[in-house]
Amino acid sequence: MYSYASRLKAMRDTKIAHTLAKRKQNGYTDLDDFGTVPISEGYFVEPWYNSTNGSFYGYDGMCENFCRVLDAHEPYIDPNEMLCGRWRDMLVNYRGDLHYMPDWLKKNPKTQEFMKSATNQWSKRWDEQRFPYDHLKPLQEKYNITTGIDGDAHFACDYRIGFELGFGGLLKKIDKYRAINLDKREFYDAEERTVEAIISFVQRHIDKLETMIAKEENRAVRNNLIEMKQTCENIRYNAPSTFQEACQWTAFFNCASRIYTRDGAGFQLDGLLYPYYERDVKAGILDDEKAKFLIANLLLIDPHYYQISGVDENDKDMTNHLSYLILEAADSINIATNLTVRVHENCDKEFMKKAVYYLLKNKNGWPRFCNDKALAEGYMRNGIDKKTARERIAVGCNWMCVPGKEFPMNDTVKVNVAKVLDEALKDLRKEEIRSTERLFEIYEEHLKKAVEVTAEGVNLHIDHAWEVTPELVMNLMMKNTLERGEDISQCAELYTVGIDGAGLAVVADSFGALQTRVEEEKLLTWDEMYEALDSDFADERTRLILNSAPKYCQGGTISDEWAKRLTESWVRIVKAQSMPEGRQFIPGWFSWSRTIEYGSKVGATPNGRRSGAPISHGANPNPHFRTDGAPTAQANGIASVQCGYGNTAPLQIEFDPKLAADEKGVDTVLRLIESHFNQGGTLININILDSEKLLEANENPDLHPDLVVRVTGFTAYFASLSPQFRQLVVDRFLQGI
Amino acid sequence: MISGIVADIQRASVHDGPGIRTTVFLKGCPLHCAWCHNPECIERAPQLMYYPEKCIGCGSCDKGCFSGARVICGKEMSVEEVLKEVLLDKDYYGTDGGVTFSGGEPFMQSEFLNALIDACKAEGIHCAVETSLIYFDAEIFRKVDLVMADLKIWDDELHKKYTGVSNEKIKTHFCQLSELHIPVIARTPVIPGICQEIDKISEFLKELSNVEKYELLPYHPLGGAKREALGIEPDGFTIPSKEFMEELEKYVFIRE
Repeated sequence: MYSYASRLKAMRDTKIAHTLAKRKQNGYTDLDDFGTVPISEGYFVEPWYNSTNGSFYGYDGMCENFCRVLDAHEPYIDPNEMLCGRWRDMLVNYRGDLHYMPDWLKKNPKTQEFMKSATNQWSKRWDEQRFPYDHLKPLQEKYNITTGIDGDAHFACDYRIGFELGFGGLLKKIDKYRAINLDKREFYDAEERTVEAIISFVQRHIDKLETMIAKEENRAVRNNLIEMKQTCENIRYNAPSTFQEACQWTAFFNCASRIYTRDGAGFQLDGLLYPYYERDVKAGILDDEKAKFLIANLLLIDPHYYQISGVDENDKDMTNHLSYLILEAADSINIATNLTVRVHENCDKEFMKKAVYYLLKNKNGWPRFCNDKALAEGYMRNGIDKKTARERIAVGCNWMCVPGKEFPMNDTVKVNVAKVLDEALKDLRKEEIRSTERLFEIYEEHLKKAVEVTAEGVNLHIDHAWEVTPELVMNLMMKNTLERGEDISQCAELYTVGIDGAGLAVVADSFGALQTRVEEEKLLTWDEMYEALDSDFADERTRLILNSAPKYCQGGTISDEWAKRLTESWVRIVKAQSMPEGRQFIPGWFSWSRTIEYGSKVGATPNGRRSGAPISHGANPNPHFRTDGAPTAQANGIASVQCGYGNTAPLQIEFDPKLAADEKGVDTVLRLIESHFNQGGTLININILDSEKLLEANENPDLHPDLVVRVTGFTAYFASLSPQFRQLVVDRFLQGI
Repeated sequence: MISGIVADIQRASVHDGPGIRTTVFLKGCPLHCAWCHNPECIERAPQLMYYPEKCIGCGSCDKGCFSGARVICGKEMSVEEVLKEVLLDKDYYGTDGGVTFSGGEPFMQSEFLNALIDACKAEGIHCAVETSLIYFDAEIFRKVDLVMADLKIWDDELHKKYTGVSNEKIKTHFCQLSELHIPVIARTPVIPGICQEIDKISEFLKELSNVEKYELLPYHPLGGAKREALGIEPDGFTIPSKEFMEELEKYVFIRE
């Protein structure tokens, strides 16, 4: 049997086997699955270090090492698939970034040697010898800021550029502009080698396919391999001209950009691929079944963030037949995917229902939903026109980007506001008259300093990223880069830089607890409260008095009011921060999956949270915020803390509504989505989970290696997560509606 | 100001009527169903519920419990206070969702119920009631958008044995609702071990044109922890098997 269905099943089984094998090789990874396959036997890369600090930077350093890592990648071809190419290892692993480094590499003696000299996890990523920022570090550490310094990749390519030119066309473009910008030789040399390395990667697949074809006896499989080879040959140099070629081209490019800087930003999948689909169907070389198989294959290769549906600049629905096929394709393979449906009142209602149906049917965290109105109108408030705002699509965990034009650094810049509160509490203690109002004043003073020092870091990054980590792969599909001989960090059309606050619920509930329990009810004095914090709540009753105070997202509580006030304050301070050269900050609320790490830096807080415990996730309330765990209550609360400038404060829901994937179930969940968006919500990540399965998998993850959870903006295989992280997901789980 | 005793308000309920709903549980019920899953709603007066596993042994019960070990079930609330809570999720109700008044037996606090329904209707909110139909208040029934009513056991003696009351009135009230053309979703909680005579109940309901749907609700043991917290013996019933439910479903009439 070599049917689409049997092949998809085999591909899914292989994926599950890979997940388990990767956990063995990598250890637990609280990260996106990334679509990687296990490291092959004997895989080895000898990095080339061009800096005296033992790392590599700049055009030559990045290019040389990219070529080495890509060249070390064996071709990946599964005869069940129609597309080929996978990635296994990334460049950043060789710059000492412990956060991403897998176990197999950590165990390598050479890596261990290299890491001995690393002072912290980031020290090798940014060239501190040439671009030091020691003067910023005290405040960055004080406020536990994720600085964005060497926060690579977080922007989006305009795939139309690549689809139009192909790798050969990109080489010609490089040649054309090299002749104009004679002083940019280093840039063009590096870009040229980069493209050549990708072409050679494609060629190695062609070679391997040839060997496999010669050996293959099954006619159907052989024909498939021949078609794959033909596809690879056609796009090795030329622009893709068919649907299959466009998918294969994307797969190869994505492998390269992932290896380079883990780039996960996709594109408007149903928009950009539609012309190929339409043409091929007319030409009689593509039918819906094959199109679905190819899409499923593309989604399997890499969980890039793709947007589907939405409206164009004239508010016209962009849903097309391919949008439906994409959902069906994702259903047919049903793995971790990052498809985001863009919701608008003019969008095809049947399509929305279908999207929700799959969410309920498969319980695998896809698709997720973003709100066009709040995002586009919000982004326009930064002085951006409507057409551009509509082009800004969902391509990351929590973020949007205008492909080809914007350098937003989204999701790489964060201020831990729980740590800011921690500092404010220390100052308030020294004062004679203590009050929540005074605490808020001090908190705002610290927050201003935090935002100011964040801005300095961001500007350092934008000024020098091209000398440290030029984006040689993604530059190929950006505007102005090849034309000017500049890295995208230097020549973007839009520098709307995202800055997220993390820990909102901890801070809101802390203010709420202080106002109710200390100021109004006088159950504790300020001194008793401070003693409790000092002792990390040695007295449990005191902790419970504070912890049982009204919480953010309960609905109409004091803490709900504080959350709104904290948001207003965050937005005001962020937007008031001046930036040079047309750059501007856009505020959001998002922690990514750093809640454990951020929490470890924050002492006990007045909401009854113990020292070092995780902070709240994104814009979410603290766990157990209501006994009924009502998702509507959470949705109401999160809608009220939107920052309003086009970046998100996502609604992240984990629940088991015990609803079937029938009309009632679909209508109910769709109502939840639409209502939250009508209230101004921006992004919804819903994990509809089977509570029994989740709890079973928490005990023994190997029982359900196919269980996918949307950890934060990204999805991950539950079995790959660390026990601590699995518990966080379980704790967030609402006991159902 | 009209007020009543509210046991709990649950938001985002999707199993107490159509759409997304807020369910207001009113305290007090004249029935004493042996399997009751809301035993804290039988007594009208507020009651102490004790969850020993949550107790931290601080010894300061008299100064207030913050651990959730000692919980008072039942709170006097005004119509305005309930409405405020109901309105929190108004954006999520749409045309079919809304508020469901449940209990206990909500009609036991009929004046309060009537005022709550008036307040909700004035806000354009869809109102449903879940009732044992032991009472009949035509004024209220005419106002509500949906009635969900139980007929638990066909045989009157068994009904008395397991619920403490005769079902004669209940059957009569079903007929009266029919005469008033008030739409009803009729339900029977399925309790293994009791001869409920689903076939006869179904036959009876089928003749009433206002009964839009007849649903069988499998017994669930969610009341167990609450019984324990109230110091009541376990009810001893078991969850019906899927096969048993499927067998019974064969006797349920389906309105074309």
